[in-house]
Amino acid sequence: MSRWLTQLRLILQSVFNRERVDLELEEELQEHLQREIEEGLRSGLDQEEARYAARRAMGAIAKSKEESRDARRVNFIDDLSRDLRYAGRSMRRSPGFTTLAVMIMALGIGANTAVFSVVNAVLLKPLAYRDPERIVTLSTRVIAGSANAAQTSLDEQISIPNFQDWHDQSSSFEAMAYYNGREIPATAGATAEYARGTQVGPEFFQVFDVEPVLGRFFTTEEGKPGSGGAAMISYAYWQSHFAGDPHALGQTIRVYGRALPVVGVLPPGYRFPDDTDLWVPRNIGTEDMKDREGQNWLAVGRLKPGVPLESAQAEMTIIARRLEQQYPEANKDRTVGVKRLRDKMVGDVRLTLYLLLGAVTIVLLIACANTATLLLGKATARTREIAVRAALGASRRRIIRQLITESLLLAIVAGAAGLLLAYWGSAALVAVAPPGMPRLTEVAVDRWVLAFTIGVSILTSLLFGLVPAMYASQIDLNEALKQSAAKSAVGGGIIRMRGLLVVGEIAMAVVLLSGAALLIKSFIALHRVALGFRPENVLVMRATIPAASTQDISRFFQDLLPKIARTPGVLSAGATMAPPGHIESSGGYFVDHLPSQPDWTSAPNAVLSVVAPGTLAALAIPLKMGRDFSEGDTAEKPLVALVNEALMRRSFPDQDPIGRTIFCPYDKLQGMTIIGVVGDVRQSGPADEPKPECYMTYRQHLFNGNTLSVVARTVGDPIALEETLRRLAQETSPDVPMKFTTMDATLSENVAAPRFRTLLFGIFAGLAVCLAMAGVYGVMAFAVSQRSNEIGLRMALGASTGSVLRLILRQALICGSLGLALGLAAAAAGTRMLTSMLFQVQPNDPWVYLAVAALLGVVTLVASYVPARRAAKIDPLTALRQE
Amino acid sequence: MSKPTDLVQGTLDLLILKIVALEPMHGWAIAYRIRQMSSEILQVGQSALYPALHKLEQQGWIESEWKISDTNRRAKYYSLTRAGRKALTEEAANWERLSGAISAIVRTG
Repeated sequence: MSRWLTQLRLILQSVFNRERVDLELEEELQEHLQREIEEGLRSGLDQEEARYAARRAMGAIAKSKEESRDARRVNFIDDLSRDLRYAGRSMRRSPGFTTLAVMIMALGIGANTAVFSVVNAVLLKPLAYRDPERIVTLSTRVIAGSANAAQTSLDEQISIPNFQDWHDQSSSFEAMAYYNGREIPATAGATAEYARGTQVGPEFFQVFDVEPVLGRFFTTEEGKPGSGGAAMISYAYWQSHFAGDPHALGQTIRVYGRALPVVGVLPPGYRFPDDTDLWVPRNIGTEDMKDREGQNWLAVGRLKPGVPLESAQAEMTIIARRLEQQYPEANKDRTVGVKRLRDKMVGDVRLTLYLLLGAVTIVLLIACANTATLLLGKATARTREIAVRAALGASRRRIIRQLITESLLLAIVAGAAGLLLAYWGSAALVAVAPPGMPRLTEVAVDRWVLAFTIGVSILTSLLFGLVPAMYASQIDLNEALKQSAAKSAVGGGIIRMRGLLVVGEIAMAVVLLSGAALLIKSFIALHRVALGFRPENVLVMRATIPAASTQDISRFFQDLLPKIARTPGVLSAGATMAPPGHIESSGGYFVDHLPSQPDWTSAPNAVLSVVAPGTLAALAIPLKMGRDFSEGDTAEKPLVALVNEALMRRSFPDQDPIGRTIFCPYDKLQGMTIIGVVGDVRQSGPADEPKPECYMTYRQHLFNGNTLSVVARTVGDPIALEETLRRLAQETSPDVPMKFTTMDATLSENVAAPRFRTLLFGIFAGLAVCLAMAGVYGVMAFAVSQRSNEIGLRMALGASTGSVLRLILRQALICGSLGLALGLAAAAAGTRMLTSMLFQVQPNDPWVYLAVAALLGVVTLVASYVPARRAAKIDPLTALRQE
Repeated sequence: MSKPTDLVQGTLDLLILKIVALEPMHGWAIAYRIRQMSSEILQVGQSALYPALHKLEQQGWIESEWKISDTNRRAKYYSLTRAGRKALTEEAANWERLSGAISAIVRTG
């Protein structure tokens, strides 16, 4: 113990009390010398001889001192602090260079850190639940390769009878629960509004192992159909609607006309699924157990401790196979998928984020190459300085270490600046991120992000610092010192090295630019696609009638729609269960007659829509045959339906569908007479092909249709009419919650993910091109300055301006075309990763690559033209006199 | 002047430990004693001696103290620590084993 203390004391003394230690060493050595001299004198030498002999015997005193100090392990720390001070001085000495290098690296490091902070929060951080790796989702999955594999309309959802069998027959789970969340009308105070409500099965909260911060969970009684019900609320809802008052317990919230007492508050941060405000209990009734086909639920489970995901999946697969044999009409070709909750939440975001991380890494590599060329240029300018230091006895290792220290300091300063950039950058990323991206609120610069930045800074300093350092250490002393001060010794090696770096930069820029160009072309195609309706100037008002009877519901819209249609500025108005952009319901259908034992698993699939008369006109969906719905199509009249052209092609090829019958399992299985055919609409956004669709009218089908979205085509800006419509709706019924948007906004949300990808890829590619351009410029300018003598000589011997221009440009073109060739080859291989993200564009689209090549060619030429012009303007006399 | 090889370095450490074990001594006296005791065969220059001394001190095997020497000047005296004494026993045993082994091989030749 004391030994360690002694050692520590000695090191500390050596570092902080250096002068005394040095003096003592000096004194010790002098004493030794003195003794040697005395010894010499004693053996009969005279004073001079004795001194000389002693010195010779002792060897180089300085070297001995240095080694003694080395023995104390002091030199390392000492050198480091000296190197750092020296590096600081040399950075201050060339502020322009330093600023440029720091800016380039800060940009690279900052962009990386920003993207990493999102990747960290969304993909890497464990979910904020207890033992999150034990929480899994269970979903229905159509067996791949089976006859029905293509029919995956609203797959993944599960039915309650199936769930009950999974729950009862499995042994891998500690808890398993079904749930289903949606926007519901909720009145906590005076005004009706939408809230996110989730119906949950009995074991739901056990799955997450949460405890209420206030109150209790549901009793079994409260979950039974027909009971008074109850609600638990999120911490955020408690704060916003009850001001965090503990007396919120026992107060009621009106949901669909029922007054539910609040029984508990969940802890802050817990809002599963999708920012839920209210949870209500939903136990299984006898009716539920009859409907094995209706797949309207989702399920989560908590694995027992120590049970691996694979064995849970294996167990569920066996259970699913049994259920498939037992209930083929509902479960044919269907099995169960068990997935970790995080993987499920992250889904396809993962690919996008990793691609962005890849793109931003390329930007960083280009920045490194750029800084390396800058440092190389500086190292050549410092050749003499380095040569002098080497001549004065600095070892090669010391020189390399000195130069690496300079790079490290540069990288650390850049890293700090980058962190600052990342702070804003990650906020900007969150702002433009598509709404579907999970866990964005968790994005922050935490210790992992910090560690990432530090790691990246050190790594990059090695990347861009090593090349110049290796070069500098190989300087030929004789040559370097012989050269005149104005002209530094530059071999062909260094020019080649910088050329190679530029080739690399261009190649990497080509890869990024190709990716970005493909995404941009695909994004443009998304906007050019024929949607089947006209989205501009359509106001969408979602309204939910908190009434139990269908009569009240249809009366509300019956009263409201004519009022809206008469409002000045409104051209036409209708209402639909699901405005284009997302699918609310879908299912199998039969035409002409319903089999006595219908096999729904193999019936063709159609999107099911409930609309009010006038909707076709409001959305400008063309009527191709027959007639639209009218207010005369009431519940008492025969059931009628409209189909789209896709359905007609699928089920009535070359036939007239008007007057035929269609059976859809929406609310009743009675046949509906087809009265018309309408044009196809891209129901789930521009990226997806139109699917067969069956329209029904709201006065005949109001099963869970309390919610409709009024669509009104307006003359001018639709948002301007928001207040008018709100007033009209409130006059019609006071406690109806409403939510406004426009068709344009919905559409823009549909393409938010591609927009995010395209925007970021575009920005990164732009950065890459700018950096590469700066790289080309730097290298060409350097080459021109190095060759000014040669050029002067050529001109003196009669070379024309044009031929000098060509001479320089040729060099740039060689670099450019090499980089382009390499980059295009890499892009052809790399952009395949984008395939799933491209719309109507192939990853090997020749036009895209041609455009990229043309752009990069122009950029290279422009970047090298300026130095080439300067070369052509060299005055032969001045150039030659410099020699 | 190249650095002493590991073997020599290690041997020098052993010699220093052994000499200092007798009594606290300053650098020159250590070199002198080594020369004397080895009948002038082993000559230790200060370029090897002082780095070795400082290294041993850093390792905690010897400690130093400034004292007035026989010539009435200040000199740095090195003495063995407890850890150093243990190290000396081990090193000496190692050396016995090693030199015995080497001699055995050399003699058979």
